[in-house]
Parts: sequence; structure tokens; C-alpha cells
Amino acid sequence: MSGDVPLARAKRWEALSKAGLLRRFGPLLGLVILCGALGAASDRFLTADNLLNVFRQSAVNALVSLGQLTVIITGGIDLSVGSVLGLCCVMVALLMRAGVPPLISVAAALGIGWALGAVNGLLLTKLHLPHPFIPTLGMMNVARGLALVISGGFPISELPSGFRFLGAGSVGFIPAPVILVILFCGAFYVFLSRTTIGRDIYAIGGNQQAARLSGVPVDSRLVLVYGLSGFMAAAGAIVIAGRMNSGFPLAGVGGELDSIAAVVIGGASFLGGVGTVSGTLVGALIMGVLRNGLNLLNVSAAWQTVVIGVVIVAAVWVDIVRQRAAEKG
Amino acid sequence: MDQSAPLLAVRNISKSFGGIRVLESVPFDLRRGEVHALVGENGAGKSTLMNIVSGVVRPDAGEMWWEGRPIRLEGPRGAQALGISFVHQELALVPQLSVAENVFLGRHAVSRGLVNFREMYQRTERVMTDLGRSIDARRLVAELSLAERQLVEIARAVAFESRLIIMDEPTAPLADHDAEALFRCIRLLRARGAGVIYISHRLKEIFEIADRVTVLRDGRHVLTQPASEVTHEELVRAMIGRERKERARPAAASDASEEALRIEGATDLTVHRGEIVGLAGLAGAGRTRLLEQLFGARGMPRSTEVFVNGRRVRLRTPRDAVRHGIALVPDDRKAKGLVLGASVLQNIALAGGRGRVFIRRSQEERAARQWIGSLRIKVSGLGQAVGHLSGGTQQKVVLAKWLFAGARVFLLDEPTRGIDVGAKAEIYDTIRTLASQGAAVLMASSELEELTAVADRIVVMHRGCIAGEFSRAEATEEKIMHLATGGGN
Repeated sequence: MSGDVPLARAKRWEALSKAGLLRRFGPLLGLVILCGALGAASDRFLTADNLLNVFRQSAVNALVSLGQLTVIITGGIDLSVGSVLGLCCVMVALLMRAGVPPLISVAAALGIGWALGAVNGLLLTKLHLPHPFIPTLGMMNVARGLALVISGGFPISELPSGFRFLGAGSVGFIPAPVILVILFCGAFYVFLSRTTIGRDIYAIGGNQQAARLSGVPVDSRLVLVYGLSGFMAAAGAIVIAGRMNSGFPLAGVGGELDSIAAVVIGGASFLGGVGTVSGTLVGALIMGVLRNGLNLLNVSAAWQTVVIGVVIVAAVWVDIVRQRAAEKG
Repeated sequence: MDQSAPLLAVRNISKSFGGIRVLESVPFDLRRGEVHALVGENGAGKSTLMNIVSGVVRPDAGEMWWEGRPIRLEGPRGAQALGISFVHQELALVPQLSVAENVFLGRHAVSRGLVNFREMYQRTERVMTDLGRSIDARRLVAELSLAERQLVEIARAVAFESRLIIMDEPTAPLADHDAEALFRCIRLLRARGAGVIYISHRLKEIFEIADRVTVLRDGRHVLTQPASEVTHEELVRAMIGRERKERARPAAASDASEEALRIEGATDLTVHRGEIVGLAGLAGAGRTRLLEQLFGARGMPRSTEVFVNGRRVRLRTPRDAVRHGIALVPDDRKAKGLVLGASVLQNIALAGGRGRVFIRRSQEERAARQWIGSLRIKVSGLGQAVGHLSGGTQQKVVLAKWLFAGARVFLLDEPTRGIDVGAKAEIYDTIRTLASQGAAVLMASSELEELTAVADRIVVMHRGCIAGEFSRAEATEEKIMHLATGGGN
């Protein structure tokens, strides 16, 4: 009897660490399996050119998802990122067309994204709206509307070539947007897991009341988090504008849902307090790989949407099953 | 039907979870018209036994009889059909619905396919009258006090003529006079022939309400006796398996009498360094409000001024309070004190390190380990999630959080709520140690026994104001109650 207990405990540890590993690398495992399957189905998938293409295509969603991740960790949601992206895309193009130097235009667009996000955060915290769904749903409509009004509904094209580098250029063989993603992933990783503000953000998502009563300035942290989300949407806008060589008012339509999908596929919880940069990056890549692979296999856009819908639900379900298994030991 | 047979009898009930034995051949029985108290420390197996009786958990071995007939419960529905109901600690009510709708939840009175609200209201009011209380059946549960909500749960059991009602720590959230009303309800139920299984950590109540008492320890049955034939000390010994040792209280450093916290205005109150001041009062007397105001979590009346270490401070947010070394240990540690999904380290470090940009991991770990050691917090490691820890251990994590943050003024709100006897004693020790090391402690509690045991002075609140104060030597429960109920000096 006395010998059983340590043994049982040791076994539980083993199971726990297995589950912990799965939890950590589950999304990555999914991505690898997906790539293997697509590679087997299409000989064009696993080529260097195509993979670089996947990275380039996933870059915008990855950038936007980093902001969305930060919001979702606090237990919130940002529905406005797609529209903020659209508005910033128009603004950056418009500024450059008006003769503003590209660098200043980019800074201005990032500032506008930040400001719009911060407005979301202020509406949420100062008006005591019941859920971030409400202010960001409002902002989603306002920003898209403004993008259409300002642009007159038409793309603003012919942008300076120096600016286009961020969206279409590359360093050696690595596309510039991919470099941007790597830099931002590193920054967000340090921010979320190595700074006290990052810890506050996780605590707010885990238990907002307890965080507040531990001296965490919850309101200002939330304004910061929504501001960051708007900022990352603007970063995505700059990449898109560069790639398409225009400020397109309908850029980023559906972007909020793609980013939410990437974040939850990456293992974050809508309940808040849980989520990682690496998971989110993998989530964005899974979305990109799926779209690319299905294109190569000549699956129609309509069916692609169906597949992505199924993958989102399946990924979250698998995550829940894993968690239950981990709890049972 | 065999009238002499007990209402419920279980024999040799055993249950294991994941190889760990939680119940070992436990016997238990309950007669008609009996209140049978079930006591034991957390983890003694009380909840598992009650979950088996209410059909939620299936035993690995053992037999159950209902009125002399052997039964096998297939899920909670089977237990409900027999007339067994469970009044849970976390009340299972829908706040957005009316009292009557909650009483009839899942079993609405229906006529011609539509809900018959009139009948539900009438029947609810009849049950309330039977229980000797009046609550408007149309009111929303969200508007009710905790005591009233509990009454709704009991009314639910009565409305369905439950023969056996299990109450899990029903008085934990109640002030003493609400507890009295609850006891009247329980006596009424008993007089009507129902059996009540009463789980509580407050032993005093057991002598007041229970006919018999059963003690479990580490999943085993220790004793079952008429409540009139055991003493408080015998029960405590049976529960913890050893004598509770009363540590000598270090003399309060009252000679130093350096003031740590002073409030002037609507309420006047001073707490010195090294002093433990108790805050007594009935529910709604404003104790929690005062503590939350002092912590900046609630608006302070304009006329009130607060001084920390003699310097006037403005406390507009909890952050201001933390900056001035004030700590709040809230009444509901799960909802307000801890991030349950996060680790022990993350919780301990949460209030500290403000004003720093990067986390200093190794320094934090070292400090956290030190507090875990000095508070004797039983955790497997810094990475363990706090959600699964026992109530006493969780409360110590909350205290460690504030020690880590360097707090010198501790506002404790019901620090031992829902904590078992052994762990309570440890929390008292911790509070005394804090004070002996120079911290100022302001501690609100609904348990007068606890205040008279721990506090140097006891301040009594009534309707948001301070009604009077007693030194430790002169305080008696009677005097405190007199002031708390508005008796005046």
C-alpha cells in the first residue's frame, strides 16, 4: 500500500508532462501533419517557392493576430481589427499621395491604428460597456464606413516604391513581411512573458476582480491592450498596401474572424488568461497553409471556407479534450 | 413500511479516486426528524459521502438502505425521486428569475401547456409562510441577500416534500442573526419529520442545532454520538486527531503604539503597528464597505481622511493603497483574491514588482520560496495552479502575495471563511505572527469567537458607523452582540 502512492504519483507526473507537451506542441504537431498531408497530395506544395509564398500570405493575419491574442488573453475580443486595417490602408496611401514622406505616413498610420484601438479600450472602460463585443462592433462599422467615405470607395494606387518594400520586397530570399512577423513575434513574446505589464494582462484575463484588488491598473492596461490591437491592425495594413500597391478600402474584410481563428487554433482561451505567441503564430500558419494547399488542390473558395470553419471547431475541441485528459491525469 | 428503520442508512461505503482512497468502509445513518451533523477537516471525505448519498457519485463498495429497503442510486435523479435534496454551498439559483420560478426550477407548475404563474406564486408563498419567513415570490433572486437566497434553496427542497435535506456549510456566508433564522427553519423541517444532514466547520452551531454528530477523518469514521454527550474539545480532537495547541499570544506591541492607520471623519478608527483590531458587526453593518474604502476599491466619503504612518494619503484606486503598503485579503478569495488558473508564483508575484518593467524571475522565485516556507504553505511547487489547493492554503497564498509586495497594513475580510478547524488555527497563527513583526491588522469577522481569540481590540460596527469598542479583556460575545444589534452603550 505504502509503495503504491509514490508510484501512482510518478505515473501521474508522467501523464501530466505528456499532456503538457501535447498542450504546448499540439498546434505545431497539427501544422506538421497538415503540411505532410498537403505535400503528399500535391507535389507543388512542399517547394521552397510555395512555402515562402505561404509565409508571405500568412504574414498579415499573423501580425493582426498578435494584437488579437493580447486582447483575447484579457478575456476580451476585438471585432474592429479588419476595419481598422482597411481604414489605415486607405490613410497611409492617401498621405503618401498627398506628398507626405513614406516613413512619416507609416508612422501616422500606425498612430491612427493605435488611436482607434485605444478608443475601443476607453469606450469599454470609461462607459462601462458590458462586453468588448459592443465597442469593437461599433468601431468595426465606423472604421469601415470612414475608409469608404475617405477613399470614395475606390483604391488609391501608385504608391512610392520605397514604401512598397515592406509588403512586396525581400531581404535575400526572405520576404520583408516575414521579417516583420519575426520581429513582432519576438517583441510580443518578451512583452507578454517577461514584463510586469504582460503578467498584468494574463492576470486580468484570469480574474479581473482579483487583479484590480492586487493593485493592477486594469483600465489603463485594457486601453493599452486594445491600442496595441489597433496598432497591429495598422501594421497589417502597411504590408497589404505595399503588396497591392494601393490603399484599398475593403482591405481586411473578415480579418477580425481570421485573427480570432488563428488565436484560438493556437490554444488561447476565450475565457481569458491563456494564450501564447508561438501558438498564435502556428495558428496563423495553419490558416495560411490550408488556404494555399486547398488552392493548389483546386478546391473552390466556397469549399475552402467550409473546411476552415470545420478546422476552427475541431482545433478547439481537440484542445478541450487534451485539457480534460490532463486534468484526469 | 418499517417505521423503526432509519430514513437512510449506509454501511461500509468505500470510494477511491485515481488510486487514492477517499472513503474507507464508512457507516452513516439518519433518522426521521433528526438533524445529524457531519464534521471533519477538508479532505476528510464529507463531500464525497454526501455526493454518494445524493446520487452524484457512485460508491466502489457498500450498501444503502432507504426506510429499511436496500437501494442503489442511479444518478442524482434517483436520489431526487426518493426525496433527497442538496442545498449547496455555492447556491444553485438563477439570479435573473423570480423567487417562485427558482423554487419550481425545472418543475414549473403547468396548466394547459402554459406555465401557471399564479399557482407557483401561491405555493411559494405558502412554503415561505411554513418556514416562518416572508419573501415576495415575485422578486428577482438577484435582488435578494445571501440569507434570503439560501432560504429560496431550502424552500425548493420543502416545496418538493424532500424527506432528506443535505446542507453544506449553510451558515458560512451568514451573519449570526441570519444563522438564527436558518436554525428556526431547520427546527421546523425537523418537526415535520424530515431528516437533515448538516455539514459545518462551526462547531458551536452543531451543539445548538444537531441531535447527533458524526466525525470523519481521512476517509474513516471516527465517532457518532448524540451532540449532548460530546464536548467541543472532544470533537476537535476527533477531527484533527490531536490536541489543538493554543500558542501563547505574543504580547501586543501596544507600548510602541506607533500609529499605522488612522481614519478621521464619518468613522474614527486608529490601528497601531503590531496591533490586531477586530471589526465586528452584523451582515450589512458596513465592515466590507469600510475595508474596501480603505483599500481604494470603493469611493470614500469626502469628509473622511486617511493617514498611513501619520501621513495623509489619498486612496482613489487599489493601486494607491498598494503603493502605501496597504493589503486587502478579500472575503471571497476565489472571486477577488486569486487568479485560480494561474500558478502559485504568478499569484504571489501579482501585487509586487510594480514600477518595474521586466520581471526578475530568479529574485521573485527566491522571495516566493521564502514566504512559502515561513507561512508553511503546503504546495508541491511554485508552478502548481492555485485552483486545486485547499481553502486554507489558498488563503495563505493571498497573504504571501501581500508579504511579497511588502505590505505593512493588512485589511482582512472574513479571513477564515470556509476554512476547516485545523487550517483556521494556522491562519490565526499567521495573523499573530504578522502583528508580532510589526504589521497593523484590521480584521473583520462574523465569528465573534474568532475575534475574541485573535484581536487585541474589537470595534463594533452598526449601520455603517462605529457603535463602540472593547479591549480584548473586556470583550464578551454578549456585549458585542448588544452593540452590533443597535443596543448602544
